[in-house]
Amino acid sequence: MLIREDILTPKERVLALLTGKPLDRIICMPIVTTNTAQLIGKTVKEFQLDGKVMAEAHIAGFKKFGYDLIYLFTNCSYVAEAMGAELDYSENEPAGCDVPIINSREDLSKIKVAEKNDGQFPVYYEALEILNKEVGDQVFISVCFSGPVSTAATLRGVEAFARDTYADPELCHILLRMATDSCKNLIREIASYGAMPIILEPIASGSLFSPKMFDKIAFPYIKELVDLAHELKALIPLHICGKTHKIVDKMTDTGADVISLDKCDLAIAREKVAGRALILGNIDPANELLFGPVEEIHRVCMEALDTMKGYTPAFVLSTGCETANKVPFEHIQAMLDVARSHGLYEYKEGE
Amino acid sequence: MNKETLFREISHALVEFEVEKVAELAEEALKQNIPAYETITEGLVVGMQEVSRLYEEEEYFLPEVLMCSDAFNAGLDVVNPHLDRSSLETPIKMVIGVIEGDTHDIGKNLVRILSGASGFEVYDLGRDVPLDRFIEKAEEVESDMICMSTLMTTTMDGMKTVIDRLKERNIRDKYKVIIGGGPISQTFCDKIGADLYANDASSAVRKVKELMGRA
Repeated sequence: MLIREDILTPKERVLALLTGKPLDRIICMPIVTTNTAQLIGKTVKEFQLDGKVMAEAHIAGFKKFGYDLIYLFTNCSYVAEAMGAELDYSENEPAGCDVPIINSREDLSKIKVAEKNDGQFPVYYEALEILNKEVGDQVFISVCFSGPVSTAATLRGVEAFARDTYADPELCHILLRMATDSCKNLIREIASYGAMPIILEPIASGSLFSPKMFDKIAFPYIKELVDLAHELKALIPLHICGKTHKIVDKMTDTGADVISLDKCDLAIAREKVAGRALILGNIDPANELLFGPVEEIHRVCMEALDTMKGYTPAFVLSTGCETANKVPFEHIQAMLDVARSHGLYEYKEGE
Repeated sequence: MNKETLFREISHALVEFEVEKVAELAEEALKQNIPAYETITEGLVVGMQEVSRLYEEEEYFLPEVLMCSDAFNAGLDVVNPHLDRSSLETPIKMVIGVIEGDTHDIGKNLVRILSGASGFEVYDLGRDVPLDRFIEKAEEVESDMICMSTLMTTTMDGMKTVIDRLKERNIRDKYKVIIGGGPISQTFCDKIGADLYANDASSAVRKVKELMGRA
């Protein structure tokens, strides 16, 4: 496998893609986030609570791999935290919300719509400021956050939220409304740093809710976020974990610019998204990327590229979800090696 | 209403998750002196089997299964005090939990719900379960199976540790080890020497029955 040197910087490469110019290689954006803390000898906890650590870790990750997007992300519950939920922070695991804050309607007084400086939001702003200064000329930076459904479900507890979709839909929608407004406040800030907001909806997954329920509880709220990002002239990807083959068309209908997929057959996605958005995915971070060997990673990456060959606007080679601390860095490197040696578009210097 | 119609109504109301109606119909069955055992196996369990099928076919999802399970329990609460336990066949015993370090328990709860509704005797250890606890509980209740679940890659190795510890104690063959959860795959199952992997709660119950010769 001939691994060629990059000609463009990641930023130039993405801009070339967005403006229809030729690329030196296919775009590769593995979801590398908190695991970069290991590169600078810091704990997950330090990474989640200190913007300087977050920035320093990401700079190390970017220098090591040269991937095409930096993903700032700490945990799936930080929007809920900014609304009033309490999280448990441990040294080497992403923080989580163990005890839901909303156990009845009376508890609604315990939460509020998150404003721009609530919870740990400012950690991201600090990291963005440093990253913009240090590597902002070379690479685009994004911030991932849990969207309305995942945030509402964190506040209420996933099972209680699921029951509410039938037993008390009104409470669902109160929580969804507040979560949406909180996300909007965050999106405005992210966009003001020139970064790209990425909606994560692990709970709106096709593994948990029916397509019909997706229409009721997820679609309108996600669309609101997409519309806001577009008003702010920001591109906005939508990532949904787990199965999505029955909702991938609905995900696209939200207007999201990038459809980021986990366990979804790419051939189905290709047909359903049908050129309306970029497709990003979906090498399994819990299987091939975790266990390797490198040859197997090369094989599944090639398979994905073959399935998506000729897809326009573009297919972005990525992971199906966040790469955990345990994913060996050589395995992430193997993905980039494929990007640097295969699927090259015609590139003529000076064009 | 004759018995067959009543059972059909019970399973129908259960599938439509009409909690109160299921309870009322179960009361009706008691009034008609229908043995609790029959109401359970031919009404409630049949309903949950349909729920299980709908779940596997991706017609029903988490909210629907939870609502149906509430209806199932509402019916069970009514007839259970009247159940003649001697009429039951020896149930499959299962110890189940989410691996230490992980608190994601939706998948595990779905397996508990559907296996409980299939007549398994389920010992739910909850989430973030210390690894030795799986073995201690299985030994204590003389379980047939140890079921482990996790959604996180960081905790999946705990499953292997449990299997290794069973081997160390020379009791590996006493238990069937079933694993599942987001990052778990057949590859991983083979790799760590577990007996069974299932990718959703409904097929887990079906495969366990096959494995135990109860299909």
